[in-house]
Amino acid sequence: MKLLTHNMLTSHVKGVTKGYPLLIKATEVKVNEVDFNPKFVCRMIPKLEWSALVQAADQLGHREDLPGELVPDYEKNEDFLKKVHRVLLEVEVIEGCLQCPESGREFPISRGIPNMLLNEDEA
Amino acid sequence: MDCTVVNNVKAATRRGKEDKKVLRKQLKASHTLLKHEGISTASQPTKNLVVANGGLGNGVSREDLSASMKQFGDVESLFMPPQKPYAFVTYRSEDDARKAHTQLNGQKLLSGENSVTLYLSYVDSVKHKEEARVHFPEGLALVKDFVSPEEEALLLAAVDWSTSDQGLPEECLAVLHRCLQDGHINVLPDQLTVNQYETGQGIPPHVDTHSAFADTILSLSLGAKTVMEFRHPDGRVVPIVLPERSLLVMKGQSRYLWTHGITPRKFDLVPACETQSADHSEPDLGSHGDLTLSKRGTRTSFTFRKIRHEPCCCAFPSACDSQGGSSPSPPSQPSLPSCHANATRLEEEYVHRVYDAIASHFSSTRHTPWPRVCHFLSSLPPGSVLADVGCGNGKYLGVNPQLIPVGCDRSSALVQICTERGFNAFVSDALSVPLRTDSCDACISIAVIHHFSTQERRLAAVRELLRLLKPGGQALIYVWAYEQEYNKQRSKYLKDHNKPQNGEKSKDKLGESQEPHEEPSVLTASHLDNNHTGDLKDDSKMTEGKLSVHTNRTAFTSQDLLVPWHLKGRKTRVEEESSSGLHTTKSSDSKLSPSVDTSQVPGGSSVPVFHRYYHVFQQGELEQLCIEVTGVKVQTSYHDQGNWCVILQKE
Repeated sequence: MKLLTHNMLTSHVKGVTKGYPLLIKATEVKVNEVDFNPKFVCRMIPKLEWSALVQAADQLGHREDLPGELVPDYEKNEDFLKKVHRVLLEVEVIEGCLQCPESGREFPISRGIPNMLLNEDEA
Repeated sequence: MDCTVVNNVKAATRRGKEDKKVLRKQLKASHTLLKHEGISTASQPTKNLVVANGGLGNGVSREDLSASMKQFGDVESLFMPPQKPYAFVTYRSEDDARKAHTQLNGQKLLSGENSVTLYLSYVDSVKHKEEARVHFPEGLALVKDFVSPEEEALLLAAVDWSTSDQGLPEECLAVLHRCLQDGHINVLPDQLTVNQYETGQGIPPHVDTHSAFADTILSLSLGAKTVMEFRHPDGRVVPIVLPERSLLVMKGQSRYLWTHGITPRKFDLVPACETQSADHSEPDLGSHGDLTLSKRGTRTSFTFRKIRHEPCCCAFPSACDSQGGSSPSPPSQPSLPSCHANATRLEEEYVHRVYDAIASHFSSTRHTPWPRVCHFLSSLPPGSVLADVGCGNGKYLGVNPQLIPVGCDRSSALVQICTERGFNAFVSDALSVPLRTDSCDACISIAVIHHFSTQERRLAAVRELLRLLKPGGQALIYVWAYEQEYNKQRSKYLKDHNKPQNGEKSKDKLGESQEPHEEPSVLTASHLDNNHTGDLKDDSKMTEGKLSVHTNRTAFTSQDLLVPWHLKGRKTRVEEESSSGLHTTKSSDSKLSPSVDTSQVPGGSSVPVFHRYYHVFQQGELEQLCIEVTGVKVQTSYHDQGNWCVILQKE
């Protein structure tokens, strides 16, 4: 699971109102090499919840020097875009779980894939 | 003109034609590699070559390919991805690669019983795909070299194949005592089954009956090695090499929950170099080693079990016949569900389990994105967040690279395929998608909603799709149409009457693949006019109706039905499992995968047939459904190749 995906996921346990963002508990994290496409990264940034991204990177110990706030004029800042690229697309959680911040329910991540299926009583 | 001159000219023309033919086939192979595998060939020579038709998936062994490539120079590396119809070779020098290219391109290679024609192209780089680490199922242990070659010979000789009622042979006692001493069992087994597998034979996946036998089951492999596959209900498959003279110990989950089986094959994929590993090691398959083909010999298994005298009380009630669990055999005649609980049960049996079981075959027939769906995707603004709910094998996730796609599917096996392809996907149900409300610029749901077995659930699926959309965002929905013929045009489903089942192409030969067809189908009998809708039973009558099995590639005669899928790539010989048992075990402890029948195909071997539930939509029905959702506008509605389609916009 890449952090781009994590940024979109939310807890959908019945009754939960503050299910975003999910907490990440990772037991295995991988960093891949992915081709850097600055235009693509630029397009993603406005669609992200920045603080959730920073928090997630932090939880994985992969934040490095990612700033807590979006830098102004990031479109031209290749350095910054590369940092975003790394954290969004290169860091991958292989094993672990996502935890609902409100209910504590854990969703397993196995072989890189989060399983978000709910039981009958939670849906 | 002089005869020799004429002949020379003819010969030259023939050569020229031959060369052109090879070039043509090579281009086709490169194109297929790009289209289906994402491998782009380089226009300039490099030291890396991709060898189409020279892969493990073509039946070419590592040894044979290696021998062939080494002729032209120092081979730095040889990478043969499992089950693929190509391989990669990297030479130390570009010159060597060029030599190989010149000499081998268009040439035949003989490997085992296979003769393939190789097509070589240069590639810029070879990306070694990391295989996911494979873990043993819980409770499983493999002990190598458990018996010596002498003991193996004695045990094999001790079996009297002429009579079926004998006590445990004396020769087994030493082995069993060793098992006790080593702590694999606490109690001596009192039942032995001996099975002999010739090359090409196997046994379908099954769980040994809980009520018949106690926890630990021991299986000794003699005479030859094989590969046994363990399958978890969630779709995970773990292949395990069982070497000769090894002991397999099954306890806990591996005995009660995972099924085990041996695919009937003549060759298995095994690690290329036998690593020196400890006795109780984890499996080599699926780790980062190289693989090659191993021809099967005749293997005899001695399986020792302890007969159970009281009901089973394991921790896996869903798979337990003592605790009321259903062994995965379908009800003989399922009916349309009248309530939510029945609906989920029906969909579990006739949709979810089936897709998990057929995932890779299914995926191989789903690689051509439909043009009108592509058109929708391409028209979205760059940077749009796209949710593909029911993404299957990720077919549409890569169509428009300017989008930010995320896919989800109910089948973990299919989501696994998406992940392997580099797409972002997760497992979830379409009725409850873990994405925030108003978060997506666009959504698609292609061939998904027709798997929901009640009107309510189909409506809920549409609602959920709309919930995800930002105001102003668009959704595209495709569902299978009751009316397969529209405007006098027959759909491809009906047209492809004489084409192979399930639209599989000849997967192995890259140079010769045909375009497969999208949906499994059957003969076309009568066709429907648009006026015939009045002949259908209306919904209220259907509620109590039984679901019938549709005949593929014919017109639909009912809106709710089971559609067969013939699984290719796994022939099962149902007779084999009792071929040489000393003691026949209670009832059949070999259970086939969900909703499976087998059907005879020409050639005599049986092919598993799965049934998938569908509710096919009548003209106007999808629109009517969408209109029931508030805050939605139907922008377009059309018929596309046997599907009813809508584009919706959230207000």
